[in-house]
Amino acid sequence: MTWLAWRQFRIPAIAGAVCLAALLGALLLTWWQVRDLAVSTGYTGCTGEDCGSAASSFLHEIEQSVANRVQLAGIAASFGLPALVGVFWGAPTVAHELESGTYRIAWSQTVSRRRWMLVKLSIGGLAAALVAGALSLALTSWAQPIDDAHATLAHAHLITPLVFPSRGVVPIGYATLAFAIGVTVGLMLRKTLAAMAVTLVLVVATQVGAVELRPLIAQPVHRITTVTTESILEVETYHDVVVRLGAFPSETDSWELSNTIVITPGGPEYRGPTNQEKCTPECREWLGTQGLLQEERYVPARRFWLVQWRELGVLLTLTAALSLISLWWIRRRPA
Amino acid sequence: MTSVLRAENLTKRYGRRTALSGCTLDVPVGHVVGLVGPNGAGKSTLLQLACGLLEPTAGVIEVLGERPVSGSARVGFVAQDAPVYAGLTVAEHLRLGARLNPSWDSTIAEQRIAQAGLDPSQKAGKLSGGQRANLALIVAAAKRPELLLLDEPVAALDPLARRLFLQALMELVAEQEMTVIMSSHLVSDLQRICDHLIVLVGSQVRLAGDVDDLLASHHRLTGPRRESIDVATFGWTLIEDRHTAAQSTLVVRSTAPIDDPSWQADQLDLEDILLAYLSESAPAATPERVLETQR
Repeated sequence: MTWLAWRQFRIPAIAGAVCLAALLGALLLTWWQVRDLAVSTGYTGCTGEDCGSAASSFLHEIEQSVANRVQLAGIAASFGLPALVGVFWGAPTVAHELESGTYRIAWSQTVSRRRWMLVKLSIGGLAAALVAGALSLALTSWAQPIDDAHATLAHAHLITPLVFPSRGVVPIGYATLAFAIGVTVGLMLRKTLAAMAVTLVLVVATQVGAVELRPLIAQPVHRITTVTTESILEVETYHDVVVRLGAFPSETDSWELSNTIVITPGGPEYRGPTNQEKCTPECREWLGTQGLLQEERYVPARRFWLVQWRELGVLLTLTAALSLISLWWIRRRPA
Repeated sequence: MTSVLRAENLTKRYGRRTALSGCTLDVPVGHVVGLVGPNGAGKSTLLQLACGLLEPTAGVIEVLGERPVSGSARVGFVAQDAPVYAGLTVAEHLRLGARLNPSWDSTIAEQRIAQAGLDPSQKAGKLSGGQRANLALIVAAAKRPELLLLDEPVAALDPLARRLFLQALMELVAEQEMTVIMSSHLVSDLQRICDHLIVLVGSQVRLAGDVDDLLASHHRLTGPRRESIDVATFGWTLIEDRHTAAQSTLVVRSTAPIDDPSWQADQLDLEDILLAYLSESAPAATPERVLETQR
């Protein structure tokens, strides 16, 4: 059965490998450019206070270079990969056999339907994990100096929704889940094209949903501090109403979920009224003395690996659940 | 006489549509069995139930003494339209068979492929309908099943391809000990190779028996027109009666010879017998429409 499943998967696998090779090639070609820039800007081997400005100029140089485009392409590929895997690898796997009737030849051999399904799921799932793992590993190690520089400057970077899914181990989870979604949808819809469309929608929905749900597993820091004049980042008032009021985040190297100024913790955002007399021309001073509270919820960058492993766990659990549903369905709901 | 397939009150519904209802059947082992009936009689459904591709909604089906499950080594199946993997070559189909069946007989497979004139390096998607049917038959037969089920294998083939397919099938049957159940709505094909027949109409078994017995026990009687004929007193079963102004023509089933001199008794061929049963079952439809009689 493995031979047949692999033989059928060969062409999509080769197509995927070619795309992956193109990306890895681009990363390889710019590998030394990134490292050379880190050296020439003095970021590599910097010590103490110099590191901040060196990191800044390094990132600035990177932004001007081809490497920046490669980095964006890598991130785009990481986001697109699950959809591609689900739509082009997962959805046709079973749907095409059901649609063209070839399942009847496969199921007439001495091989149970469950085994047929299991082998198809395993081969595609492993291939998806392999491609996603290779891409993530390449991108994560390629971008090591860039990620380090962002960390040096305490930028919100690795933990943010834009970068997080392209690094570490979660890409593997997204790819395998997308494949399982494609297979399951194909099994239920029995039409290749419809399965591809529905899979695309579901995979994108999963990626969007993941951003919404990530705070649940990330144990965000909930922090309440008293607002001082120094901590106020921006103020805008209109008569005695506060239109905009923001305070500096406590940890910049984090994924900010919320950052509001309140009177009581958990209460509504502070909107005034202000003492107009004391607020003319500038309100900052007065606001800093009112005992207002800054309420923050954020995921600090140091939770990166914790969140990575937890999210991978959730994604793999979902993959396993969908696989089990497929295995159950293939036995209970035949042609 | 042991059964290769036994069905009792077998029913299959797809949602609201009933494909097979209350079918009771007993197929003896060691024959080439023709399963004949008009389109929609439930032939395909019955065969797919027999190889475990479908599960019955109600009733019991036993194949080789077991509840059928797909993936059995003992049952081979060629589905309607003989599906093959378009992207795989002929040789790869044999490899598929060898990998997926412990009981695979590669000698027979290769021999048959050569005999059928199939090019091993040809992609199956580029084969003609007849070649494809042959390939599907070879893959199904080379796993050496005890029971081979063929669902309308020749329906889509031209007469020459049909003849070649049936020839190949007969050679396979001669080489291997296996029971074959083959559905068709083409009586002439069944006549050529089947030695046992089952007529399925409206999911009921209308007629079942060895071809020789069927031929011997059916008669066409021609005589002067009679208003009422009490066939039962002669021990006959009336299958069909037609009356013109001057004469009556009957098709009757009788195991005893016809010795009433007022009737002229003629032998019927298999096609006549089948048509009589089919027209009896569906008086509204003309037999030509329910049953194609291509030769």
